[in-house]
Amino acid sequence: MTIAHHPTDETLLRYATGTLAAGPAIVVSAHLAACSVCRERVRAFEALGGALLDDLPATPPSPTALTAVLARIDALADDAGPARREERPQPIALPVASDGTPLPEALAGCDIGRWRWMGPGIRMSRIRVPHDPDASVMLLKVGPGRKLPEHGHSGLEFTYVVSGSFSDAIGRFGPGDIAEVDADVEHQPVVDTGEECICLVALEGRMRLSGIVERIMQPLLGI
Amino acid sequence: MNDALEQFASAAPAQSLACRVRLVNAANEGRAAAGADELVRLVQRVAHERDRQAFAALFGYFGPRLKTFFMRGGLAAGVAEDLAQETMLALWRKASFFDSARAGVSTWVFTIARNLRIDHLRRQRDPALLVQEPAEEPPTLEEAVLTAERELRVRSALSGLSPEQSTIIRLSFYSEKSQSQIAEELGIPLGTVKSRVRLAMNRLRSLLEDDQ
Repeated sequence: MTIAHHPTDETLLRYATGTLAAGPAIVVSAHLAACSVCRERVRAFEALGGALLDDLPATPPSPTALTAVLARIDALADDAGPARREERPQPIALPVASDGTPLPEALAGCDIGRWRWMGPGIRMSRIRVPHDPDASVMLLKVGPGRKLPEHGHSGLEFTYVVSGSFSDAIGRFGPGDIAEVDADVEHQPVVDTGEECICLVALEGRMRLSGIVERIMQPLLGI
Repeated sequence: MNDALEQFASAAPAQSLACRVRLVNAANEGRAAAGADELVRLVQRVAHERDRQAFAALFGYFGPRLKTFFMRGGLAAGVAEDLAQETMLALWRKASFFDSARAGVSTWVFTIARNLRIDHLRRQRDPALLVQEPAEEPPTLEEAVLTAERELRVRSALSGLSPEQSTIIRLSFYSEKSQSQIAEELGIPLGTVKSRVRLAMNRLRSLLEDDQ
């Protein structure tokens, strides 16, 4: 696939430093699996982390720190030898939506809700992230030519295109692309004709749906 | 530091004096040995020979830096100490996974520390939820060359940043602080932090790309 839209450097830096929230990190992971350019950028930021670690001043560890770690090494039950590659855990089964649609591997381990009707031609599946129950992550399935629900949001919004495509004021987004939209931007993506579009969406803040119906539904949907 | 190491020497009664002296000397030497190639050799000795002297040297180099890393991330000294020890234990256990064709030793240790910090912040005890390194294909020669270039490039990029930009990048690196918290800490308006971050990232990008 041809990737046209990438996360910002700031987002990739936060991903590399582990300071990006769990929900957005999942969406960025999905993009990284598809984008070698951003994978290399993340590796550069990790190397930057290594260089910064080299530069850090020393804080004296506890006087017994080395002894303590050596004692724990002695106590390692299976220390016949170092961990071997073949002992790596088997990959978890690939995640699928409630109708069997294959989903990005980044969603492995997440609880994927069933598709729920959200409006004409719009279905949503709530994603529960086990290590961050507060994360706002969802899948949206929107029919050809349909508008995504109009909304603003209180933080950054990350949208990864799983299949199909949509267009908004910024441009056209296809499979593998990521749209990163800042707070205060009221934007209304429209799905391109021809194919329904499945997106993986994560918010840093809470979504504010604009319409009266959406405002009523917001507490019910828990988004 | 020397005090700490001397105390360590006297606090390890189970080991012979000669052995303790060797480990302390190794830790002392490790503290000074910042050479990237030397670090690679030390990790390889840990991986292949389970060499405790090599491990002690790595501990001497990384232990104090890791503690600073976790403290800069906003963790209390005691927690930072524990996580630094966890990181070193992980280094011992995972040494055979280290591949110099993929990353420098410091970069590898940084990613271990980062993942342990994420796990700590998640407060998850279920191992299934802990950060897993993806299984990867063995690196190609091209990747090995890219890795060596990358390690050099980031170091020269870092030295090309202004002190102000460097501060912003470092703050972004170590802590989960939001830009508004950074603004408060530096005593500058939020808009200034935002534009400094943007400028620093642009500068970093051009520095990283210049040397390619």
